[in-house]
Amino acid sequence: MSDGASRFEEFPVDAVHVGLTLFVLAVLFLYSPLFVQPPGGTFTVLEVVVLFLLYAMILVGLNLQFGHAGLVNFGPVAFFAVGGYTAAMLTANEPFRAVGLGYPWPVGLLAAILVAAALGVLLGISTLRLRDDFLAIVTLAVAEIIHGLLETQSDITGGSLGLNNVPRPIAGTTTAGDGAVLVSTIIVFGALALLFYGVFRRLSASPYGRVLRAIRADEQVTETLGKRVFRYKLAVFVYGAAVAGLAGALLVFYNGAAAPGFFTINVTVIVWIGMLIGGAGSDRGVLGGLAIIMSFQLFTRFLNDQIPFVTQDQFASIRLVLIGLLLMVIVKYRPEGIWGDADELGVES
Amino acid sequence: MEIPLAQEVIFGLVIGSYIALGAIGFTLVYGLVNMINFAHGEFITIGAFVGYFAVAEIGLPLPVAVLVALGGTAVVGWGIARITFEPMNDAGAVPLLLMSIGLGLVLRNGIRAIAGPDRRNIRTDVATYRFDDLGFFVTSQQLLIIGLTLVSVLVLHLFLSRTMLGIAMRATADNEDLALVSGIDTRRVRNAVWLAASGLAGVAGVMLGTAQAASPTVGFGQLLLIITAAILGGAGSPYGAVAGSYILGVAVTVSVPFLQRLEETLALNLELTALNSTMAFVILIVVLLVRPGGLVSAEVRTS
Repeated sequence: MSDGASRFEEFPVDAVHVGLTLFVLAVLFLYSPLFVQPPGGTFTVLEVVVLFLLYAMILVGLNLQFGHAGLVNFGPVAFFAVGGYTAAMLTANEPFRAVGLGYPWPVGLLAAILVAAALGVLLGISTLRLRDDFLAIVTLAVAEIIHGLLETQSDITGGSLGLNNVPRPIAGTTTAGDGAVLVSTIIVFGALALLFYGVFRRLSASPYGRVLRAIRADEQVTETLGKRVFRYKLAVFVYGAAVAGLAGALLVFYNGAAAPGFFTINVTVIVWIGMLIGGAGSDRGVLGGLAIIMSFQLFTRFLNDQIPFVTQDQFASIRLVLIGLLLMVIVKYRPEGIWGDADELGVES
Repeated sequence: MEIPLAQEVIFGLVIGSYIALGAIGFTLVYGLVNMINFAHGEFITIGAFVGYFAVAEIGLPLPVAVLVALGGTAVVGWGIARITFEPMNDAGAVPLLLMSIGLGLVLRNGIRAIAGPDRRNIRTDVATYRFDDLGFFVTSQQLLIIGLTLVSVLVLHLFLSRTMLGIAMRATADNEDLALVSGIDTRRVRNAVWLAASGLAGVAGVMLGTAQAASPTVGFGQLLLIITAAILGGAGSPYGAVAGSYILGVAVTVSVPFLQRLEETLALNLELTALNSTMAFVILIVVLLVRPGGLVSAEVRTS
């Protein structure tokens, strides 16, 4: 590892402490009469920041799974969606046309984590003993099917319209308008994202993380050393699933609604590409990668208005073509990403 | 209306045929190139568009269009694989898989950007043969797809068992290093695999274009069924893939009336078309839990 990379990795701040402190402050801020009103033109950017923080939570789990333990989870959006819809269906008050049980939001939040984790256990048990790439098939398939079910089973999930009337706990603490809600949301989600980043980083820096990297390098040797490889893999898989489920619940509580459009395969693609750009296994690098790819998306969104003769549909397709090309180029020419370690990942660049 | 079982089985065989043409190629690539090709559905889409072009724009009859799609998609698929997968053949399963996901995104959305999201039906004359006393009918289209699949399987079998290249292919699938030191040009084998896999996908594409429509996602929509069939049959085994495809096709169609009855009993309003693919997934999970090697017990465990 080069000097620059190692300094980048070992910047002397403990994210767990900072995250916790920030979270306490954020909650105090929420229940105080104070608020911050952002300038009007920044809403689009702030909305992307909210999404970035939620995707970052998914990504820290995914990076533990793939970057450290080598598990090819190609359906993080499945857990994100299951968490989101569990929370929405439990808490929605008489949604337009779907199941809405009207429980208070903490119930929905907790259930979202549990259901997403349960799905993780189910998928993990059935696939983690098989070849690496089988996990990719199953997770990708699950994500597609869950998305399909969400769109079509309209009596249960509200179909393509989704569910509305989901409680918005953060919006409920202020009357100062959408801008103030956005800022409060960013502060709370930022604190949570930082906290999860810190927890997962501690996990990967501890002896536990060393076992994960050993599994990635060679499962048989690790098993021979008396480590129960399957249990480690299952645990890591379920941790990631639970955090993604929580992120999904946060998203619907932020929006006050759940819809299939929030939970498409594009979430998986963005999170994965962010991880690969930044360098899988580099805890900070992956977040940098995510920031790069999401800035690209934000930038191209503004660009669409500037280019004549291209319909919106074509433009969306072209953007996905570019993202696909980017993925291919990274995989081929720089598999360790920008901040990753080629030796540790076992790739040649 | 109650549909007779014989009719359900025919529908199942038709669906099984589409899946089989895709699954053979998918499983050959899995066995020989050692990768899961998530872009395989896009080869089917390419076939559908080549077929559409041949029939609607040039005015070729359908059988000729099938041949054009077979050849055209074979060459295009092989060319794409030469550029993308072949240079990183030694990188391992996961990078190849990521590559195929990127390629799938590029092809699917590239086709969408050029051709638009419309569905283009390949119009052909369809004759219907009724067997009213037996309670079913078949169309010439259905006979063509089943016949094409059977011919493809037969040709594949003869190729794998009677030609040197086919035997080399089986040897490479079994143990690539051993094949290499025995003097087999594994690169040539991989070329043949890509040609065969994309050619068969092209045929599936044309037939899907006549039965449904050529659209940018027609192949991607089949991918899950194809993967399930390939794993059900035993990943890497072409014969297993064919058997798995027909089992899956018949199981999915025959289960629809059962699901309908279940729906009535539970008084739910479920969307059955979506449940079809969900059924396929349930089958996939059960297979992975009970018999991950599939019908032929392929070696898929990590150690």
